[in-house]
Amino acid sequence: MSPILVGIIGSAVLLFLLFMGMPIAFVMMLVGFLGVTCLTSIDAALPLLADNLYGSVAHYPYTIIPLFVIMGAFASAAGITGELYNTFEKWFRRLPGGLGIATIAACAGFAAVSGSSVAAAAAMGTVALPEMKRFNYSQKLATGVIAAGGTLSFLIPPSLGFVIFGMLTEQSIGKLLIAGAVPGLLLSALYALVVYFSVKINPGLAPMIHERVSWREKLLSLRGVWETLLVFLVVMGGIYGGFINPTEAGAIGASCLFLIVLFKRKLTGKAFAQTLLDTIRISVMVIFLVSGATIFSYFLALSTIPTTVSAWIAGLGVSKYLVLTIIIAIYLFLGCFLDAVSMMVLTLPVVFPVIISLGFDPIWFGVVAVLMMEAGLITPPVGLNVYTLAGIARDVPMSDIFKGVTPFLMGIFLLVIILTVFPQIVTFLPNMMGR
Amino acid sequence: MGMLEGAGKIIRKASFFLCCAGMVFVMPLMALTTVDVISRAIWSKPIPGTFELSEYLLAIAILLGAAYTQQVKGHVGVDFVTKRLGPRLRALSESLCNLGCMIIVVLLAWQGYERAFEETTVSDMLRIPQTPFRLLVFVAGITLFAEFLLDFINSLKSLIGGEK
Repeated sequence: MSPILVGIIGSAVLLFLLFMGMPIAFVMMLVGFLGVTCLTSIDAALPLLADNLYGSVAHYPYTIIPLFVIMGAFASAAGITGELYNTFEKWFRRLPGGLGIATIAACAGFAAVSGSSVAAAAAMGTVALPEMKRFNYSQKLATGVIAAGGTLSFLIPPSLGFVIFGMLTEQSIGKLLIAGAVPGLLLSALYALVVYFSVKINPGLAPMIHERVSWREKLLSLRGVWETLLVFLVVMGGIYGGFINPTEAGAIGASCLFLIVLFKRKLTGKAFAQTLLDTIRISVMVIFLVSGATIFSYFLALSTIPTTVSAWIAGLGVSKYLVLTIIIAIYLFLGCFLDAVSMMVLTLPVVFPVIISLGFDPIWFGVVAVLMMEAGLITPPVGLNVYTLAGIARDVPMSDIFKGVTPFLMGIFLLVIILTVFPQIVTFLPNMMGR
Repeated sequence: MGMLEGAGKIIRKASFFLCCAGMVFVMPLMALTTVDVISRAIWSKPIPGTFELSEYLLAIAILLGAAYTQQVKGHVGVDFVTKRLGPRLRALSESLCNLGCMIIVVLLAWQGYERAFEETTVSDMLRIPQTPFRLLVFVAGITLFAEFLLDFINSLKSLIGGEK
């Protein structure tokens, strides 16, 4: 049997077992193992399993995962979301859809210290939703804003999305994190514009708030952002300046937030234990997925499918932007059914070599891929952020939340177009980095 | 059946306590790296072996937490097809999936054991042998196998019409 045929059969088995509900990490390990056995020998495949898993769990750059996860957990426990919201609410409340814009700004701020979009949606759901309800905001707009705002955590560094992309494609995690900063700010601005124009077009969505806030109050409210600013500057400034690597940045960020939480006395023993348990659970899930993907990628490489597909696409002579559009459409489709990490793990072994062979910048593609994963967090029927919010806003039908986030998807698409036309928006900061 | 339930409880508790043992190492991992950076920045003296200690700490935390993650269904899968199946078909697909997982993790445990004792490498700076940490792959494989076995038995019970 030719290696390509084995690769195709392996991929079909992988899809079949995936749809049967087998955990993705173990499907990839099993199919990868069987594939390598077919293409080499069982003696070569057997040691691969244990060596690969140990190589993944005892790999220094991967220590960043629990550190970023726990950083986000401490940021949530510190009540940063509430403080950010209170600050931005004072600055933006008088704008059309002002509370929605404040929510987006607070989500962007929280994203600067946390990589978890679900945590952002959950935290903001408990803080901003009651406020928007109090001022008679439409349920669709209020829940849509929070679900979409939560996705910013996946793009604005420190972001787990970039860490996983870097792990799977062997790109610099530091450069990827830095590359996400400007697109993250742009997306926040686009989300804010979506809120603004939605309310301008349909004022019934969000009644205007005429209550004035004095300049003194506004300036005093800025105290609510110092923690976020401090941690972000230490973490991202350290990476950008080349003083610390991303793992060290994760440790320092987590330590800073741990001290803040202790100082504010906001962490009980029980909550601390739960934080550690959640950190382990998420880290195990991610590292096992990466380990499974590594074995499966090795099998795919042996089958020569990635190189054959790349050569075939290059030989078609079609515009590279057409191929990119197709890849983006595939990501959009997959995002309807798969969670972000799984989507990356399953597709990058084939998609990334194609992108590189077409001459796209790998760091730029990292940002575009993460943007599409973000879209997957809010597309029906499996939008993780929407599910999270539905758990909080129990009186709002899930279909209303999905309708509410739809305009924000346009923001993501618009940003992908902007970044494709002006890739320098992504690449200029990483190209100027200290190391 | 009582014995089976008793064994199930013991397995669930063992996975949980192993995970608790692993999670204890997360804070030292954070502290070690932070102190290393501070020490390097202020006194130009990094803590010797920070890299390798971090790797070992991560290995302990992740491998001891693998089974508990399965217990709380933290290993992600695609469920939009199986959710639409009838109870019998769903139980059948769950049984097959658990069986597939059992096969791969038992191979993992076996190879983890074999490779651990073949390994003679020590860490670069502190000369700590890798073998005990590599043996944790075996521990992770065995405990994962036990968790999948419990899930397999439960799905079989559903398949043959018993209670879940």
